[in-house]
Order: sequence, then C-alpha cells, then structure tokens
Amino acid sequence: MAKGVLGNDPFKRGAASRPTESSTPGGEDKAAAAETKKKPGPGGTASAKAGGKAAAAKSRKHEGKKTSGKAKGGKAAGGMKGAAAAARPPAQAPGTRAPAPQAERTEAANAALSPREPAPSQQARTPQAPQTSAHGADDAVLPLREPAVSTPLTLDSQAPGPVNDAGAPTPKQRDVDLALAEALAADVAEAVATAAVDAALGAETGPDAEVERLMATEFATELAEAAVEEALERGAPAPSLEQEQERAAAVAAQVADSAARAAIEQVRALHATPDAPAVTRWERETPVRVVVTEEADTSAVEPEVELPDATRDELPPSRRGPLSLVPPPATNAGEPSYRESFPADSGRGEPEGLRPLAERAVAALSLARDIAGQALASESLARALLAMGGLKDMLRAGLGTGGGANLDEYGKDPSLVERLEPVLEFLYSQYWRVSVQGVDHVPPGAAILVANHSGALPYDGLVMSMALTRERPDLRDPRWLVEDQIFHAPMVGTLFNRLGAVRACPENALRLLDEHRPLVVFPEGYQALSKPFGERYRLKRFGRGGFVKLALRTGAPIVPVAIVGAEETSPLLGRIPASFLGLPYVPVTPLGPLPLPAKWSIRFGEPIGVEDLEPEAADDLGEVQRLTERTREAIQSMLQSLLRERRSVFAG
Amino acid sequence: MDVSRPGKGRLRIAVTGASGDYGRLLLSRLDQDPDVESILVLDVVRPEGDKVEFHRVDLTRYDAESELTDALTERPVDALYHLAFLFGPIRNGSLAHELEVIGTMNVLTAAGRSRLPRLVVPSLTAVYGARGNNPAMLREDSALQGCPHSRFVTDKVEVEGQVRAFRERHPDMRVLVLRFAPVLGPSVDNPATRFLKNPVVPTLMGFDPLWQGLHEDDAARALHLALRADASGEFNIVGRGVMPISGLIQQAGARPLPLPGPLFRAGLHTLDAVGAGTLPVALLDYIHYSWVADGERAESALGFIPLHHVRDAAAALKRS
Repeated sequence: MAKGVLGNDPFKRGAASRPTESSTPGGEDKAAAAETKKKPGPGGTASAKAGGKAAAAKSRKHEGKKTSGKAKGGKAAGGMKGAAAAARPPAQAPGTRAPAPQAERTEAANAALSPREPAPSQQARTPQAPQTSAHGADDAVLPLREPAVSTPLTLDSQAPGPVNDAGAPTPKQRDVDLALAEALAADVAEAVATAAVDAALGAETGPDAEVERLMATEFATELAEAAVEEALERGAPAPSLEQEQERAAAVAAQVADSAARAAIEQVRALHATPDAPAVTRWERETPVRVVVTEEADTSAVEPEVELPDATRDELPPSRRGPLSLVPPPATNAGEPSYRESFPADSGRGEPEGLRPLAERAVAALSLARDIAGQALASESLARALLAMGGLKDMLRAGLGTGGGANLDEYGKDPSLVERLEPVLEFLYSQYWRVSVQGVDHVPPGAAILVANHSGALPYDGLVMSMALTRERPDLRDPRWLVEDQIFHAPMVGTLFNRLGAVRACPENALRLLDEHRPLVVFPEGYQALSKPFGERYRLKRFGRGGFVKLALRTGAPIVPVAIVGAEETSPLLGRIPASFLGLPYVPVTPLGPLPLPAKWSIRFGEPIGVEDLEPEAADDLGEVQRLTERTREAIQSMLQSLLRERRSVFAG
Repeated sequence: MDVSRPGKGRLRIAVTGASGDYGRLLLSRLDQDPDVESILVLDVVRPEGDKVEFHRVDLTRYDAESELTDALTERPVDALYHLAFLFGPIRNGSLAHELEVIGTMNVLTAAGRSRLPRLVVPSLTAVYGARGNNPAMLREDSALQGCPHSRFVTDKVEVEGQVRAFRERHPDMRVLVLRFAPVLGPSVDNPATRFLKNPVVPTLMGFDPLWQGLHEDDAARALHLALRADASGEFNIVGRGVMPISGLIQQAGARPLPLPGPLFRAGLHTLDAVGAGTLPVALLDYIHYSWVADGERAESALGFIPLHHVRDAAAALKRS
C-alpha cells in the first residue's frame, strides 16, 4: 500500500533526525493506540494502520506548516519543543484565527487524551503491516504524549503546499497561504469532529467505544479536510490570507460536524463487517487520497527532511529568519525585493482592473531596487570604492594626519597597507602584471635580497615586498631599505615609511635580520634612480659593500634579484632642483608621480652563501669587494637574460 | 639587595627635587615601600609624607655642595635620587643652567665625597635628538646628538656627560641614568603634555614621526625599580609601542593641523621672539623626525616592563 509505505517513511526520518522524541510521538502514539484497540480483527488492524499512518504523516506535515507559520508570522517560539508546540493550539501561529471553538477543542483534547492512557501491551502482527507492528513496538516505549489532539491536524492534501512551493516559483505566496489556511482548517476540523463524535456517541461505553470514537473522528476530519481543500482550490481566491483562513475554518467546521454522524456509522459498519470488506472499503476510499498523498510525500521529502531541523528550537533566533517556505525570489536582490513581495501579495486579491497597474508598478519598483542593489554590490564598484578609501588614507598618512595606533617600531602601518590592498593588488597584478621567477630561492629566515634599483620613482621596493608577501607567504614580513634622503622629503618619506620602507643603516639592517626577515636592499642607492633613461639596466657601483659586510656578520645568505620593468615604469626625463623641499631634485617623469604600465619581471637568483666565511671577513676589504662583485655580476647577467627574453616593454 | 648595607635592614634614601613631577611620583612609591625607613629630602620646599626628613638645600647656591655633603655624611644614605631638574624650557635660561648643570655638579661632588652606594639621575630620550638619520630604534649607546636650538636639551646632554664622567671615576658606585620618553599622564606637566593638551595641535605637513610615550605610573615604577636594580649605566625608559604624532594627538582628544614647514617655523620663531611662545621652538625637531628609543636594556637589566601602551598614556591626557 502506497499509503502505508509513504506514511512509514517520515517516521524513520523523524526518528533519525530528531534527537528529542517529544515531537514525533504524537502521531506514533496515536497509531499505536489505534492499533491496539483495533486488535480484535485484522480488518481493524489494517484500518488502524492506515489511520495511524495518516495521523503520523499528518503530524509531520503539521510541523512543516508550523514552520512556515512561525517564519511568516515572525514568531520565534524559543525553547519550545515539538510536543509542547503541538500542545498549544497550533492555529495560533498563522496570524488571525478563525473563530474556531477553542474551548471545544481543548475539551476534545482532554477527551481524546484519556482513552490513550493505557499503554499497548501487544503488537499487531499482520502480514500486511510489518512496519506498523514495528512502530507499535517503538511507540510502546515512548512516553504518552499529551498534545496528541492537535498533532494530527493536517490533511495529507496539505502537503501540496510545500510541493508547489518547490515546483512553481510564482504562486508561492498563494501556496503558502493555502497551506496555512488548510492547516488551520484541519485543526478546526479535527476539533469539531472530535466534539461532534463525542456528542454523537454520548455516554456509550464498551470495549470498542474508544476506538470507534477515534476512528469516527478521523473519518470526519478527513472528510472535512478534503472538503476544505476542494473549497480552497476550486473557490475563487480570497482577497487576503485572513479571509481565506476564515473560509477554510468555516468549511472545516461545517463538514466535520455533519460528517461526524456518518463517520460513526461507517466505523460501526466497519466494525461489524468482516475484515476483507473493510479492507476493500478502505482501499476503495483511499485511492483518491493516495494519489494526492503520494505526490505529496514523495516530492515533499526534501522539505520534510529539512524542516524538522529548521523547527528545532535550539536554533538560534538569528537563524530562524530565513526559514520560510518561500525563499526570497531573487537571492542576490536581497531585502528590497523580499519586502516587495508583500505588497505584491496583497495586491493579488484586488479587483482585476487594478491588478496589472499595481503589479507593474510594484514590479518596476522592485526591478529598480534590484538594479541599484546589484550595482552597489557589484564587485568592481566596491573595489573601486575601497581603493578610493585606501588612497584617501594614504594621502592622509602622507600629509601627517593619518594617526594609527598599531604601527611597528619601524613605522610600518599594517592597517594602512591593508586598506591600500585594492590599489596595490590592481597595480601588482593588472597594471604591472608582475611575473616572478625563482622565488623559491629565497631561503626561510634572514636573507639579504640584493636588487637593482631603477626608475626615477622607487616603486621597486614596494613591488619587491608585495611579490615576496604574495609568492612566499611562509616568509616573515619583508622590509626594504631606502636611503636617508627620502626621509627628509615631506609626504614621500612618511608614506614610504608607513608602507614598510626602513632607513638604510647598519643598526636597522642588523635588527631586521635578527628578526629573521627577508631584507631587500638596493646597493646602488640613489645614483641608480638619478641615472638617465639611456643608461637603464646598467648597474651602478654597489655602494661600499655594506650588504656584504652585513651578510658576513650575520651569516644571512645573499640572494641576487633582477628587476626588469621598473625603469620604464617611471623613466627619468629630467630633474628639477628642489633643495627647498629637502630633496636633491624632483624627477620629471611622463605621468608625474603616476607610473606607466610597463610589465615587470622579477627574477630571484641562486643564493650566495657566506657560511664558509668567518664574520671577521667583513673587515677584509678584498673579500668584501669580491663578494660584492660576484653579486653584481649575478644580477647583471640575470638582467641581461630577462631583457633578452622580453618581447615588449608594455605588452605581455 | 646590594643596596642594603650589612647589618642594616632598612633603606634610607635621599632625594633632591622632591617637589617636581618625578619626585612626587617617586615619593608616593617610597612611602608605600616597607623597606624604606626614611626619605631625606634635600630641597627648597618640604613635601608631604610620613617618612620625610627635610633638609633645606638650594642647589643653585654657591654653598650647596658643602650643605649636601654635610647632609649626606651626617647619616649615611643608601641611595640618592637626583631629581632636581626642569621638565621643560623656562624663559630664564641662566637659572635653568644653574639648576641643571651646576646643581648636578654640586650633587655629584657631594655624592663622591660621601661615598654613596647608589645614584639615580633622570634624563630624557630627547637627548638623542630627532634626526633624519636616526636608526629606527635608538639604543643606549647611540650618540647624544641633542637639539642645538634648545638650551633645555643641551643642558640635559651636558648633565649626562657629567654623570657619565662621574660613573667612570667611581666604578664602585651604581650610577643609573634613566632616559625617560615623554612622560604623559594626568598629573604631570611637561612640554609634551602641554603640546598634546591643545585642542588643535599644529604639526609639520608631510611629516608624521614616531613618538613614544611613558605613562606616569610606569615612570614612577621605573624610578622605584632603580632603587634595587643590580645595574649601572643608562636605560631607556619607554612605554609600550610607538605612535605617529598624529595618532598621539588624536588619542589625546585633539586634532592635528598640518602646517607647511617654513610657515610653521617662522610662526613659532616669531611667537617665541615676542615672548608669547607656548610651544618650545625645539619641539619642531621632534615633530619632524622620529626618535624612538629601544627599551630592551631597561627590561633585561632593570626589570622594567612597561604596563601602559603609549596610546593609553595619551588617552590618559584626555581624561584629565
């Protein structure tokens, strides 16, 4: 039986996915109770099984509905377990209630509750229902649930709510409304049916009275729910959720009440007749529903697996928000369009003439919001804004009003570098397209990276440190040494210092190497920057060999580095004397302080080890000279090969 | 505790300039130190305190040296804190010179005669001078370049020279020179606090040197530690961290106003010449270039670890 199988599945899932049993026992218990009571005849068992299954399935659905109700109504029912939640009239969740007989319902609850007190002692073992018996066993150990009444309140047919949600995106709101209304109606129907059946059966007692009562209630409820479904689906759309709900509740109450008597009759007839006819009867009746149930259950599997978790009250309130059966139409559009859906929703019920206009206006509005939101959220714009912010900070830092509380003792401001990251990233990977070769030659720990200095504006130190940070994140934060002159210049000196430049002097170099940092030095110094463009990539004198002495004293290896591209980035066209600024001259470059988009290549050579030399060799001028020359040649040859390999200055 | 002499459990301490900022900070500490028996104050004003023995000495007088010797030899002391220094330039330059240089000379002579076991002299990290060619961290052995435009700093450099010469002449004595970074705090008053307490603080456009600051509590603690430290020589006493001057100004609740250098310079010189100068001209150097001292030696030899970050020290100014 499809129903049995389908009804079974959620059980297992429920048992598996829920650590606390309290929410499920509702349906299971009912099944168990019904089953035990039905023991006398196999037909009874079958029907009980079906009823139990239906109830169980319903309870699950009800939970799903409730989730939607909660999410929609914004009710965060914190700390409330499933059972407790079920115990309270669940109809509270979705907004305004139909004037459903609350008192009646609670009475019914009490009435329904009492007969289930005795725990089932035996289990049904019928060939048709092996799973059922298993459930009976399971249920026997479960605590008797109090909130049983309200648990089986939804109809199988309500399942299409979520199904439709998943399938058709447009009438989602409508579906949710329907589902809510149906849930409410089911509630009402059950309560009314219970009351009616109780009234009809009256003081009747007997071994089967309780079972009859239950079954009759079930029948009546089901009939009522089917009626509600039909009424909701066939009927014209009500202008609002509230009205729809009211209507549904009214239909449910009427049908349940009138069906109660018929249901009792049916139950009695069922009872009297032998098993076979009963089964067929059920089967005759069920197909109608089975069809519905089937599609409901199979397709509702996904939401059902999800939903119980969603309803967990352990969920932090912050995560309850998005728990709606209706996902926001366009996830990237974000809030505006989500909010937009409500006006659209209420507008749906308006007279036909108004609808298109209103809808169009609403749609246009939401589209505009979408576009605006997307534009704001678009990556490039955001990056541009960030870059602007970074540049502003850079300007402030240069002016001397940057502040900053987490500078290191060399004056580098990591937060400024971070804020400038969009700009640096653009320069590094898009503007200069820096390509790095042989970066693995840089040994971990202290190392002296000796590079050629070039270009009228010393971008190379910055690019070197960026290359090292990007390509070798395992190394410590590299620093580069710059000459004193730059620190006498306003703005430039401060800015370079904030970005990581350190004044070149033995004390600083020793300290930096002591900290096991890669240290970038440009031994040519200032002469390399002031050489005319015609002499590009021709190495100048390598200072007085300070870096070699440093290497000999500290044992740090020397890594020769050739940089190609920096000369063309800011070619020196002329010099303006500027001693009043504290600078020997102001360089004339094509774009002023802005660099040209030349392609950069950085090649790291084999380290020149100095381990075999004593630190005292630092005082041996000949040795120092030899090592200096060796480094210089290594860099010059790497430069030549890089220049030979270069096909174009700007392209590539 | 090398300070305590054999057979004497409790310390007797002499302090000059006890009414100054350093003296005030130290005396409150010494008052609470159970090992300190009495404090001999050699000053022109009597400070508060239960342990205080007051002996009036005017260090600028010609007979100060003999008075000091008498006071120090009458009952031997375990340590002499020579704190009688100015905390900023004053208009009367010759008086400042008398007090700082001649006063120190008198104190050193008296200390040498009375064979004191320990002498503590405060100084400033400003004596290193703020230069573009300073290394990132100035160690104690860096040259004292001072500030040629400032008599105040020049005097300090001269005092340091005297004390160093004295230390070399008396290798058995413990002579500690504590070079304090600008002391910031609600209860101290020096050029740095006056500078930072303005609502709008002029700075040099395009320059944002790194500053250090020392919270007054840390300063007091360092002075107190010098009483027992088994070390001699100079120590940089600096707070934790460094800050650019603009950050320091912002922390102190003010706004930096970058002015072009030549304009600022001319304005400050003019103000100074007419006698309305609120900022010492020498401060220009210190807001131009960094002068960051390395407090590593104080940590290893003196056991002084600053508790306050410089930004807290600056923020303490705002609260006051």
